[in-house]
Parts: sequence; C-alpha cells; structure tokens
Amino acid sequence: MYETFEHTADLGLRIRAADLNALFAEAGKALFSAIVDDLSTVEPRERIDVRLASDDLEYLLFDWLKELLYLFDTEHLLLGRFEVTVADCSLEAVAWGEPMDLTRHTMLHEVKAITYHALKVQKAADGWLAEVIVDI
Amino acid sequence: MGKETYSGPLEQISECCWRIPKSYKQGMRVDGIIFTDERLMQQLRKDQAPEQVANVAFLPGIQYASLAMPDIHWGYGFCIGGVCATDPDEGGVISPGGVGYDINCGVRLMRTNLFYPDVKPYLRQLVEELFRRVPTGVGQSGKSFSEKELRHLLAEGSPYVVGRGLGTARDLEFTEAGGKLEGAEPAEVSDRALSRGAGQCGTLGSGNHFLEVQIVDHVFDEDAGQALGLEKDQVCVMIHSGSRGLGYQVCDDALAMLRKSPEKYGISLPDRQLACAPIDSLEGKRYIASMRAAANFAWCNRQLLMQQAREVFATIFGRSPEDMQMDLVYDVCHNIAKFEEHQIGGRRKKVWVHRKGATRAFPPNHPEMPAAYRNVGQPVIIPGDMGRASWVLVGRQGSMDQTFGTTCHGAGRAMSRTAAVKEASGRRIDKELEAKGVIARAKSLRGLAEEQPKAYKNVDEVVEVVHKAGLSHKVARMRPIGVIKG
Repeated sequence: MYETFEHTADLGLRIRAADLNALFAEAGKALFSAIVDDLSTVEPRERIDVRLASDDLEYLLFDWLKELLYLFDTEHLLLGRFEVTVADCSLEAVAWGEPMDLTRHTMLHEVKAITYHALKVQKAADGWLAEVIVDI
Repeated sequence: MGKETYSGPLEQISECCWRIPKSYKQGMRVDGIIFTDERLMQQLRKDQAPEQVANVAFLPGIQYASLAMPDIHWGYGFCIGGVCATDPDEGGVISPGGVGYDINCGVRLMRTNLFYPDVKPYLRQLVEELFRRVPTGVGQSGKSFSEKELRHLLAEGSPYVVGRGLGTARDLEFTEAGGKLEGAEPAEVSDRALSRGAGQCGTLGSGNHFLEVQIVDHVFDEDAGQALGLEKDQVCVMIHSGSRGLGYQVCDDALAMLRKSPEKYGISLPDRQLACAPIDSLEGKRYIASMRAAANFAWCNRQLLMQQAREVFATIFGRSPEDMQMDLVYDVCHNIAKFEEHQIGGRRKKVWVHRKGATRAFPPNHPEMPAAYRNVGQPVIIPGDMGRASWVLVGRQGSMDQTFGTTCHGAGRAMSRTAAVKEASGRRIDKELEAKGVIARAKSLRGLAEEQPKAYKNVDEVVEVVHKAGLSHKVARMRPIGVIKG
C-alpha cells in the first residue's frame, strides 16, 4: 500500500507493507505512480531483472528507486509490477512493464531524483513503513 | 515531518532581516540570517525551512552567515532560497545539496521588437506552435548529440552550440559566465549521467519549468529599462529550465560518492542530505569538475530552447529573428556553486558561494558585467507564477555587502503539490487563465493544477523585500500572455 504526502515543492511517498519484500515492491509502484497517471494502463510486456546490495535498508531502498528511475529516464520504460526478494541489505527483483506510449499513458511528473532527506525504512506495528521524498 | 512548524528563535534585526543566533543549536558555526518581511514571516514558521537555515550553519568553513532569501521554502538538506559561502583556506567544504539536483537551473529573458498589439491576434497560434515544437514534459527528446559531441558540449558550454550555428556571439556575451564554466571535466561525468542527458539537450522538462511569452507590464526604472532594451507592452520570451537528467544524475552520483565522507573527514552533520567534502579533497574536486560540466550543459539547453523559440516566432510572423531583434537580455543561473571574490570581515577572500534557489546580483561596475550593463548592474530575472507576474531587477551594492552578491530567485511555493491539486479540484486552471488573457498549454492538467498561481507566494511581495533590502533594484514587471509547460 502506498500514498503520497505533502512536501512543499516536491513529493513524498509513504509505503506500508507486511514484509520487506512487499515493501520494496510497493515502493516501485509508488515511484511509477508519481510518473504516470493510472498505473493500471502499464502492461507487463517486458521484463527486467535488478540485483543490488547496499550498506543498510534505507540506502537499499534509495538505490532501488534510483535504479528504476534510471531505467525510465534512459529507456522510457514504465514498470507496474514487481517481485522483490530482500535479504541482508541486498535485493533481487524482477519487474514488468513497457515503454512509455503517449497514446495510452498520461504522464504526471518528471521525477528528477530520489532524495536522502528524511529517508526512512522502519518496522511498524503491523509490518514495515518507508518514506522517501522525490524531487520534482 | 515537514508540516511541523518551526519553533526556534527568529530575532528581527532590521526591517527586512531576521536572525537565528548561532547559540540556537550546538554545532552552528555562524548565525542564520533570513531576508523577509512581516507579511512573509507569517508563512515562514509553517515548515522546517528556518531549521534548515540553521543546519547549513554547521558546514565547515562557512563564512559570515547561513543566508536565506525571501522566497525561502523547505527543501531537502538546504532550504530553497539558501546561500552559503565557504572558504577553502578555513577547511571549507563543497556540498552538492547546496546546489541542488538541477545544477544550473536558471532563467533567460529574450526581448523582441514586437509589441502586444502585434502578437495578440496570433497568440493562440504562437502558443500552439511553441507547444508543438519545443520538447516539453516527461520523457521528451531534444536535439541528439553523439557521446563525443556531448563531451565537447560539457567542456565548452554555450560557445560549443553557438559555434555550430545555434545562436550568436551576442548570446554568449549576455549569458552569466559567458555560458561556460572553466574547469569542467567531462571525464568526471558518469556514463549514467551522459546517457540520461544524451537526448535531453533542448528540452524544457516539467515541474516548475516553463517557456512564456510575456509583455512588459510596467517599467519602474526608465534608465535601466532603456539599458536592458525594455519598454512597456514589449513582447519578450522567458525560459526557465536547467541541466535535465544529466545534472540530476551528476548530483546523485556526487551524493553517493560522499556517503562516507562525513566520517572520513570528521564532519558532523544534522542531515544526510547536507553531505559534503572539503573543497581541496579528491571528492570535492571531482564534484566541482562534474558540477561545472553539468552547468555548461544547462546553458546549452537554454540556448537551444531559445533558438527553438526564435524559429517558432519566425514561422508565425514570417520574419527573421534578426528582423524581430530577438536578442537575449540576460541569462542567470539560480542553482550553482561558484568560486568568487568577496569582502568578508574587512578582507578580500575567494570563497565558494553556493546558491540554491538564489540568483547572483552583481552591482554596477562589477568586472563580470557586459559593457552595455556596466552602469546599471547585472540583470536578475525572477520568474513568478503563470497567472500574475515575473520580474526583471538589477543587482545592487547591498548584495555584495550582505549576501555574497545574491538575491532571490522566484516566488517560492506557498502550497505543496498535493495541496494545490486538492485546491484546484473541479476547476480548469487553463480556462481560468484564459479568462485573464493567458493562453497556457501543458502536457498534463494535473501539472497545471500543481503549478497554478495560488500555489505560489505573490512574487511582487518577494521582490519588494529584496528591493527594500538593497540586494537588487526593480526595473520591470513582466506579465505572462502565453505559457507552455510540461
């Protein structure tokens, strides 16, 4: 589950999930929901694989979203479905999506970057919570 | 977070100046000073921006004060509207967060010899054609450069694209730093940054970036107006954009490189986004070399956007850009760090001035001024919102005395994007603007809602503060009549 929260000039993404795998998968969706209006218009026509390792969970989330943003910015690839396995501050992920097609996709924001400001991945009463602010 | 109000100290020290004393937080090396007025103060405490001004005061080697302009708002790490100068001889640091992701985001203003009545009958056609031909919005491609060409462009800045016929020598003279920072090292720009930037030179982007057709609404200083070639009802084009994906990636790469640098150099910071390195360290030098390259890219981007606008005007009016005297008034950057000489504590010093959402405003007779503006000072272009106004100011001596030669950069947001969309629910911002005589085209209606006039502070109030404080001086108020956005 994800939602956006207010940040003066930019956009905050808040993600909640029962476990870390779901948290990272939802974070991928949260990012693309800021880029394209109605994520359900993105069809799973292409598959990409991502492997990453980082120093801690917060950096891992940052690096994960950064990787997805890079894929969009260089290949115009929109991703809408994710399967992520997180273990020991590293992850293996598979994501599905398709190249941006302006006849079917309404674009929302140009996300410039993922920021470290108030970056948060923490255990919550009912699972995990993450917050990240993206620069618009 | 964010929505929390600031409850720390803010002491008024003059009509337009409030201070956060360095005693506020242990670790502050200097005071925080915010330029604002009673009216704008009401909004200032609503978020954590003043706290960020205090946090910047932690940076090693910071001189005089951590400064903020009246368009201050909450950023990440540094506030937007923040200025700080660091001295390499006192262990000073360079901080990518003090420049921002959009390295050399900036504004340029081009004048024409057309007046409002000449353009009014063709306005819709003009805006439609600009919207069709200027790459705008998410994922749009501009002029493509090979990797080799891109590296030249990064090293050489605007002179490179002008050398390929995309502008005139005069354009360079009226661009801050001539459109080129020396010391740019394309080799320090990662492959990732190159690939993000490859297709994006000559694209506007989205967010608050825009290309506007404006008219001079009022001239406040006739002499300065004349020097800048601006008179009432004259048609101008204002362009606001930056270094696109290339610059964002350069900043991102630098922040990743600096993750461990606070520990390595024993720098204690209250916010990870303030990551920095000593200016003379390897990391510091690498960031500076890549930041300069990204700045050069941004100038090329605005140069290509301006060329596009010239071509569109030529198509619509059937005259050449030369015939319409489509001349650059000036181009300024408002996200940058530059090595400049300033008078600090009675001594001349060379310092790294970080301007994040703040504009250089050098006074008359400064050596870095085109001859035509020597007597009036450096033009400062302040974009406002798409419904009300933008401004042209000139730098004043007060900026050298108080803010390392700096003034504000825009209106500053009053509402978050989500709040602006909520506020605009059920309204058609484009129709409302049209009723006010502004034709606006954007790729997304939501984007228009986020950028609607009400989402911004009134730029007139912001400008009034910097004018009163002697940082810069009002020359002309500009009114938008045509807007294209991402």
